[in-house]
Amino acid sequence: MKNRITILVIAAASLPASPVTIAHAAAPYETYSYDSMGNAIPSQAGYAPERAVSGYDLGVGAMDAPEDIFMADDGLFYIVDSGNNRIIAAGSELTSAVRTYSEFRYEDGTVTTLNQPKGIYVCAEKDRMYVADTENSRVLVTTLGGEIVSELSYPDSPIYNSPTFRPQKVIADKAGNVYTIVNNTTGAAMFSPDGEFTGFYGANRVQPTAEVIGNYFRSFFMSDEKKLSRIRSIPTAITGFDISGDFVYTCTASNTQQTDTVKKLNAAGKNIFSKLDVIFGDRKPMYDTSHNQLLASAMTDIEISSDGCINCLDLTMGRIFRYDEDGELMFIIGGKAEQLGGFDTVSAIESYGERLYASDSVKDTITVFRETSFGRAVNKAVSLYGQGYYEEALEPWYEVLSRDGNYRRANTGVAMALLRKGDYEGAMEYAKKADSSEIYNKAFEGYRREFLGRNLGKIVLSAGAAAAGIFAAVKLKKRRSGGEPQ
Amino acid sequence: MKELTPLQWLKHTVTHPFEGFGDMRWKKAGSLKIAFAIVFLLFLALIADGRLYGFQFRSVQEETFSIVPYIMKSFVLFGAWTVGNWAVCTILSGEGTMRNICIFSAYALVPYIGQLFVNTALSHVLIRDEAVFMSIIEIIGTLWTVLLIFTAVRDAHGYSAARTLSAVLLTLGAVLIMLILLILLMSLVQQIYIFISTIITEITYRIRS
Repeated sequence: MKNRITILVIAAASLPASPVTIAHAAAPYETYSYDSMGNAIPSQAGYAPERAVSGYDLGVGAMDAPEDIFMADDGLFYIVDSGNNRIIAAGSELTSAVRTYSEFRYEDGTVTTLNQPKGIYVCAEKDRMYVADTENSRVLVTTLGGEIVSELSYPDSPIYNSPTFRPQKVIADKAGNVYTIVNNTTGAAMFSPDGEFTGFYGANRVQPTAEVIGNYFRSFFMSDEKKLSRIRSIPTAITGFDISGDFVYTCTASNTQQTDTVKKLNAAGKNIFSKLDVIFGDRKPMYDTSHNQLLASAMTDIEISSDGCINCLDLTMGRIFRYDEDGELMFIIGGKAEQLGGFDTVSAIESYGERLYASDSVKDTITVFRETSFGRAVNKAVSLYGQGYYEEALEPWYEVLSRDGNYRRANTGVAMALLRKGDYEGAMEYAKKADSSEIYNKAFEGYRREFLGRNLGKIVLSAGAAAAGIFAAVKLKKRRSGGEPQ
Repeated sequence: MKELTPLQWLKHTVTHPFEGFGDMRWKKAGSLKIAFAIVFLLFLALIADGRLYGFQFRSVQEETFSIVPYIMKSFVLFGAWTVGNWAVCTILSGEGTMRNICIFSAYALVPYIGQLFVNTALSHVLIRDEAVFMSIIEIIGTLWTVLLIFTAVRDAHGYSAARTLSAVLLTLGAVLIMLILLILLMSLVQQIYIFISTIITEITYRIRS
């Protein structure tokens, strides 16, 4: 294995015309995965850091706290350079800036600037750009040319109960509804296409801790005055979201809340993941002895790749968690480090093709990760599997298994593919490896049916023979004992 | 009634829940050896139930195997039941000897043990949709054993039904007390062990320095 990597590296390095230089230095973090028992096990890297992009690389001067990065459907990256109050649009190779937006024009010709913007969403198809202009307490809806179409500010509505309006992130759906995270616990503020505040969307639930439940029972014996002066139990606010198809995915960066950290919401605001048994982030939070704190995962941003995979960004440990569309872990990438591939304070994540992009608001760079050949095999298999091509996914799954026999997702994939193909015995074997009694159950059902189909004659015959034998033996015994005097 | 071998007596008591134990007591039959074999079978059946289920019925995979819980659930629990029942029924003017209680209670366990083995075997043949058959067998086996234990206590001591019920409940209480005392004793022994080992460590440090 190691030899093969070296050969690949040498081959890549010896290609003079290679357009991208692949980083050969080992990543400054260890790649791992989780087995079915929830134990961390070493795993192969699915993505390797390729390069770090700074403002100078784009030719626009140093960036200051890039807070958001968005890949639009016109093939351009839009980077929110928060400290410099500008939006940088750069080509998909991230080699040079195409345009920087530092001011926007109203219809009457007056010009306005941004003040520490934090989020961006672009719909190039409709020629719309949505900027969460945080410190100016507004969301700007502009054209890609920089002309302001409308401005969403503090909603004049009795439902909006927060004293401030600080948009952190912004997305828009196909119909033109704008959602923005305003750091309150009732969910993202939702605006209709004509700029009307229509309500909140996707609030988290309160985690039912012992204290919350105890307070609930205590409240039976409280007067209304006492209830009013009590500490309220409120859920943590969502910190990041992304829209993919008809679903909105939200994440919550909280080190106290474990429920609802990653949600997949349908149009009605129902969380589809709440019924699934999925865990996001690190299973067992690490205890940091020097700072006396638990390093629990805090998902600060979420992004859905074009193939449906969910990329989550963990602020605490500076890690990217990549999940498939069912919330099954694929890769864990990154960590806290100074070197390439390490982060200080991650702020946003984006994906495009075979690369992942994560911005760091302290290092002021965007780190580009490129999938390894292992990652390519897994991504291909997961994407085929997700589309229902189980049998076509078999080949890449076998390749994954030949490289990392501990990769649990591959065992599940092979089991499902073999089950679909009708190779029940093989499916049973791989279901056992994947520790999935559910798939095993289905495979066993088929296996039993086939077994009975093949051997029903023999079974009936032998059962009949056994019954006859027993019957005869009993008869014989009775006759013998009957012959003897009582 | 004709003479029965010990194994035939076992079959007789299990298949005649209402008068089997009475007959056996009348005939002074019943083998202690078989009783112990049954308890050992219970131990094996519990292990089979915990570890040998078909994969389609396995929900949680344990990483480590500890035999202690199985010993507790079979030998210790049975011993506590026998001693507790003997203690309680001696006070409640029961006629049963320790030997009789041991034999009768062990014989009464046979349907439960059989159910465990049968279900373990069935779990390799059935699928999840058919799990209801297994629960039916489990319920039948368990209820049968409960009935047998009831008549075993009744016939071992020559009680009326109401008296038997109170004796069984009191025995369960006695078992509980014994187990609590056992846990107390174990933690006490552990404390003493830690105390002594600390002293030894301390002394060795002094000697060395």
